[in-house]
Amino acid sequence: MTDTKRDLLKKEAELEKGVERTRAKMVFTPAVDIIEQKDYILLFADMPGVDEKTVDVTLDKDLLTIHGSVEPETQKGHRLVLSEYGTGDYERTFTVSNEIDREKIIASVKDGVLRLTLPKAAAARTRKIPVTGNA
Amino acid sequence: MTLRNLVPSFGKKRVPVNFESDSPFSLLHRDMDRLFDDFFSGVDIEPFGNRYSSFSPDIEVSESDKDIKISAELPGLDEKDIDVSLTDDTLTISGEKKEEKESKEKGYYMKERSYGSFTRAIPLYTDVEADKIDAHFKKGVLTIKLPKSKKEIEAKKKITVKVD
Repeated sequence: MTDTKRDLLKKEAELEKGVERTRAKMVFTPAVDIIEQKDYILLFADMPGVDEKTVDVTLDKDLLTIHGSVEPETQKGHRLVLSEYGTGDYERTFTVSNEIDREKIIASVKDGVLRLTLPKAAAARTRKIPVTGNA
Repeated sequence: MTLRNLVPSFGKKRVPVNFESDSPFSLLHRDMDRLFDDFFSGVDIEPFGNRYSSFSPDIEVSESDKDIKISAELPGLDEKDIDVSLTDDTLTISGEKKEEKESKEKGYYMKERSYGSFTRAIPLYTDVEADKIDAHFKKGVLTIKLPKSKKEIEAKKKITVKVD
């Protein structure tokens, strides 16, 4: 298996230069889909191994951070023969513009996929302006 | 060992759990695989298939004296969409990762997740008890436990090393 392929499937989160992690745990950047709808923006993140108890969504000023923790399974008497994915936490931060109604963000997790609904603020919604003919 | 087994496995479609160490070709097979994998790593194209459009799950295999445990990351799938089967000594996991209803509409900002149907065949090279295989799907991770057959467990004998 190629390293480039692994990068695309599950990418280890990058750290700023000179910064070190305090825990010996891998942190991955989850793959996301962001889709804009008329009244809201949808965000899907693939985070296999997390559930509603282990995922955190925080909004600090303009920064929306999603964090999921996955505890490695205890392998009693098992030895690893093949490992294509590492087990570790997920983290990714997004900037949120003023167009989003911060009070109404909804988050849910199902089958290892985090789904965020970011409703647009009333002011930012597209409005259809009726055009009248020159009668 | 058939001749087909000597064809290098591109990417990661077939992953042997145990190599047939008694066969003189197994070493060659392994070397060929490594050679091709090394050659294609760092290159953005793959000889077969398109990595960007299709989904292929990552797996993890661990083994103990009594059983083999295989887990696969399948985020966004439903247990109904996953099919696990065992034929001879190959375990096959197949299924389809469907796009969310909303994803089919326009308005993409970012598209990093991949969708589509997949099949992964995992050769076991170990005799397992087919009736006692246990598969669970939880939080987007599929875990399959395959107990080794009695014959297989008994075949492994521990040899004590004596000191003279």
